[in-house]
Amino acid sequence: MRDIIRILIAPLVWLATFSAIYGLHGLLCGHGINGTAFGLPIERVLLGAAFLFAILLQTALLFALYHPSLAASSEFSRFVSRATGWVGLVATLWSLSPVVLTTYCV
Amino acid sequence: MLSTVDPAGPAAQTIATLWWVMLAGASLIFALVMVLLVLAFRRKNAGDDAGRVRAWIVGLGLVFPMTVLAALLAYGLIVGERLLPREGPDIVKVGAEGRLSAWTFTYEDAPSFSTDGTLHIPAGRPVDVAVTTADVIHSFWVPRLAGKLDAIPGRTNILRIEADEAGTYTGVSAEFSGTGYDSFTFYVIAHDAANWDAFLNGDFE
Amino acid sequence: MNALGRHRKLTAIWASEPGFKGWFSTVNHTDLGRMFLATAFFFFFIGGLLAMLIRAQLATPHSAFAGPDIYNQIFTMHGTIMMFLFAIPTFEGLAVYLLPKMLGTRDLAFPRLTAYGFWCYAFGGSMMLVSMVFGIAPDGGWFMYPPLSGAIHSPGINTDFWLIGITFVEISAIAAAVEITVSILKYRAPGMSLDKMPIFAWYALITALMILTGFPPLILGSILLEVERAFGFPFFQAELGGDSLLWQHLFWLFGHPEVYIIFLPAAGVISTVLPVMCRTPLLGYGWIVAAALALAFLSFGLWVHHMFTTGIPHMGLAFFSAASTLVAVPTGMQIFAWIGTMWKGRPELHLPMLHLLGFFFTFVIGGLTGVMVAVVPFDWQAHDTAFITAHLHYVLFGGFVFPIFAGIYYWMPHFTGRKRFFYLGEFAFALVFIGFHVTFLAMHWVGLLGQRRRISTYAPEDGWTAINLISSVGSFVLAIGIAMILIDVFLHALTASRGRRNPWRAGTLEWAMITPAPAYNFASLPHVTDRNPLTIEPDLAVQLAKGEGYLGTPRNTWRETLTVEVASGKPDMHVIYPANTRLPILMSAVTGIFFLSLLLKFYWTVPVAVVGVAILAWKWVWSIGRQDDMDTVPVGQDIHLPNFAMTDRPPGWWGSVFLLTANATLFGSLLFGFAFLWTVAPGWPPPDWFPPSVSALALGIIGAGLGPIAMRYATQKNRNGGTPLASLALTLAGAVLVAVACAAMMVHTPAPTRHAYAATLFVLGSYGLFHAALGILMVCFLIARVRCGFTSSARRAEFPIVRLWIDYLSVVSVLILVVAHLPGLMG
Ligand code: HEM
Ligand SMILES: [Cu+2]
Repeated sequence: MRDIIRILIAPLVWLATFSAIYGLHGLLCGHGINGTAFGLPIERVLLGAAFLFAILLQTALLFALYHPSLAASSEFSRFVSRATGWVGLVATLWSLSPVVLTTYCV
Repeated sequence: MLSTVDPAGPAAQTIATLWWVMLAGASLIFALVMVLLVLAFRRKNAGDDAGRVRAWIVGLGLVFPMTVLAALLAYGLIVGERLLPREGPDIVKVGAEGRLSAWTFTYEDAPSFSTDGTLHIPAGRPVDVAVTTADVIHSFWVPRLAGKLDAIPGRTNILRIEADEAGTYTGVSAEFSGTGYDSFTFYVIAHDAANWDAFLNGDFE
Repeated sequence: MNALGRHRKLTAIWASEPGFKGWFSTVNHTDLGRMFLATAFFFFFIGGLLAMLIRAQLATPHSAFAGPDIYNQIFTMHGTIMMFLFAIPTFEGLAVYLLPKMLGTRDLAFPRLTAYGFWCYAFGGSMMLVSMVFGIAPDGGWFMYPPLSGAIHSPGINTDFWLIGITFVEISAIAAAVEITVSILKYRAPGMSLDKMPIFAWYALITALMILTGFPPLILGSILLEVERAFGFPFFQAELGGDSLLWQHLFWLFGHPEVYIIFLPAAGVISTVLPVMCRTPLLGYGWIVAAALALAFLSFGLWVHHMFTTGIPHMGLAFFSAASTLVAVPTGMQIFAWIGTMWKGRPELHLPMLHLLGFFFTFVIGGLTGVMVAVVPFDWQAHDTAFITAHLHYVLFGGFVFPIFAGIYYWMPHFTGRKRFFYLGEFAFALVFIGFHVTFLAMHWVGLLGQRRRISTYAPEDGWTAINLISSVGSFVLAIGIAMILIDVFLHALTASRGRRNPWRAGTLEWAMITPAPAYNFASLPHVTDRNPLTIEPDLAVQLAKGEGYLGTPRNTWRETLTVEVASGKPDMHVIYPANTRLPILMSAVTGIFFLSLLLKFYWTVPVAVVGVAILAWKWVWSIGRQDDMDTVPVGQDIHLPNFAMTDRPPGWWGSVFLLTANATLFGSLLFGFAFLWTVAPGWPPPDWFPPSVSALALGIIGAGLGPIAMRYATQKNRNGGTPLASLALTLAGAVLVAVACAAMMVHTPAPTRHAYAATLFVLGSYGLFHAALGILMVCFLIARVRCGFTSSARRAEFPIVRLWIDYLSVVSVLILVVAHLPGLMG
């Protein structure tokens, strides 16, 4: 069961952050808040911060999956859990990249 | 008449180009896969599994698609950005309200009247259509001018269309709406500048 | 005891009742798998007939074959039948039939649940057929968008058939998914650690987990829409605070994963059959497992690509466009791993291999057009046109039907123990392949020429006539091909030439038995040391028949097996299965009465049916367990295992965990819906708010805290040999408090027909009340069990199960009460 969790955790976290950031985007556009921070519109800053947080989270998870004291015991589970760990990180970078690439509320 | 590959406006043109590029790319990839598949049947010399995993799974299965897809995604996002209804000086604003089974069009420049079944626009100028519905979901689609956009109860969606030249373009409602759906069509008439002014002044047909 | 004697004895223990009567009482997975498959192919046949009608209608312009009223029913039922009554049940049938055999055990985890699921499917499917016979079938398209499917625009019973019938059928999907998950995790041959599992089991496990988390949003959506239609709760009506987009989100939150739920089992078949056809092991087992997992997860983050034209801002679309392109990577990786496998081995062109080549050709095209429609601007043009119809058939037919045909031909000798005698199958394949592409290839083009999907007719001036005619001709070739395959399969079952065992020289365990398979599968269970046990030990079947494995000596009339630890495959429990019974069919009939009453609006029979289900469920659970302690059981090879009644993690606990996973997804979707409406829907704020009350909130929270604490105390007490009755009574009191708090919440909710806010609160309250009632029932059951001597300090298995449900009740009820009371209390 532990191994199953190791295998599932990173993509699960991706799913959660992905949905949350999509929700945040909907919320910001639906309830137009105004203002700027660091010379950027506040929407962009908030979304960017969430994106950064998601990336850090995935990096931490990946780190844990490689760490001897937290990694799975069998070779197979180690392989699969690290593979899905990479999936989590790459999926986060890839699928949330529009945060820094596209217009946000049109 | 309804062909997306016979574009008559910038948005439809951009998307048609996108389609031809994707078709070319897809054909190449398809050919590659089929060749690999056929080659599997010839006599081969032995190799080791580690090498195969590197070539097939990491090379062809990971690096290759990610490269192609990254390029495609970038292309798609750029095109998408270009087609958005951004603010601008020359924009004509009209409204399209769908109801089973007809469209009613209103004009910001001529608030006093509306037209049923035919939308009038000026040629060569960007037009923002505010799409709404009075009943179920519909979709506003003039294939030769631009992509489609849904009319959702309680919401107003803005679609940017533009016709390069004066003429009549056919549109359809493109979200299934029950028995009248087959014949749920409308027309867009693009006028040259003079006719457009005449239209706004109320003297047409 | 010799092999024949063992066979006779085991058959006596495991066999179903003879004759057709046996169908109604069988709980055996081999029977039920066959019944699932036969029924699913029956529906495939019906769905195919409907497809022929569609193509007949569209063959020529201005067709007068069917009017739009009928035509709308035809394509809606075609899509609905193919997705819900053919594709998913085919997976269930295949998994039910194969898994225990591949995993080296004797049955699935919950045999009676398998039967219950089958009958729910059969009854629910029949309901849909009845609606078609009477010409009142659903007609809103297979995704049933409101407001078109709401009471105003679809006043007839048609839509209710869809919402209620499909929900009924979905029970079977959830039941099968729980069953398959627990079976794969626990019911394997000793020694089969996760990395030695046959690859099909990985795919089935992932698919089952996806069903558990993918179907609940649709079940919830169907419930909400049906409640809106029946009682006027405005969840999807914009004027009253609802939002039709909520339905689209819920539907596609299910609908996109659904596509992969259909594809993944097929991929499992490919990964199993292809290596055997190429006489080599699969290339990159671990990579494929990881790719399938990645696919499963990514597929939950794609749903908005079905909503690219609904006016969501570009960044929102871009997230889903990006995720949709990304999902092509693990898919492509599997394709290349398979082709790499072919390069590694020596592919032989047997009939299953032909279908696999058909798969490659077709599915790659479908995948490529899929990537195209993932690009937002292109989808703005292609959405809702024939291009999409073509794309989805390339994916579904290529990615499901071809692989399943390959699988059918591959396992046919296993189903029947016979071999094919004629080249009918090859000929049929050619017709299917050619017919398919003639039907659908040019349909992409006609879509780009502006032909919308779901239109019943078009004009000659549209310029679509030639392509449509060609397509229709192709579809008839395709139909003939499919008919020939069905005939071939039929002949196959009738011809007398017996085949030899393991005709493909495959390595997986399902071939280590006589065929057709005996009711007990294996006379003794193997010890697994390799992913392909038959490759390293070709004589395994004989050794097992001789009783050289585990559990080789039949005991009493017990249907015995054992379970293993999830990761390592070390044996950990001894299991005695229930025997043949009519309880499942009876219970699904009563469940059917429940759904029928809702459909026909005979509301007074609803409570009767609910009580009926509760009584039967009580009987169901009561009949397992024992009134005396049992020593550890010798299972062979000097291993002794405790019976599951004397463990902390019995099969029922595992089943509950996964059932609650599905349940929690449903609850999560409900909370998501509430948040969505609150923040995004037009028509807010509501006219009146819920009147919060500190005391009601406090009451509920106290109850929610009391239950789990008292339940833990009861478990402890029982473990130490004391009597847990007092603590159980306290648990009961906790559940009652929660019930009172939820009921009070429902009473004080403003009129739910006036605004979606109140409507959602009302549903949340009833969800809490329902679970409180369930908790009360379970605790009462446990009290009765304790008093009748079914528990002891050793026989403790039932406590953790009830504890799980009580814990769940606490979590959801606190959330529900907080959601209702807190906003008002905060001002
Ligand atoms: C046996 C050969 C088949 C043929 C000739 C066929 C034909 C068609 C046609 C022509 C339509 C489009 C009607 C329209 O919207 O204009 C359609 C719709 C559809 N088909 Fe098939 N089909 C076949 C098999 C399948 C299979 C195997 C599946 C799924 C496993 C499937 C799933 C669907 C779905 C989901 C729709 C959409 C229904 C809707 O729009 O509500 N079809 N089919
Ligand atoms: Cu999808």
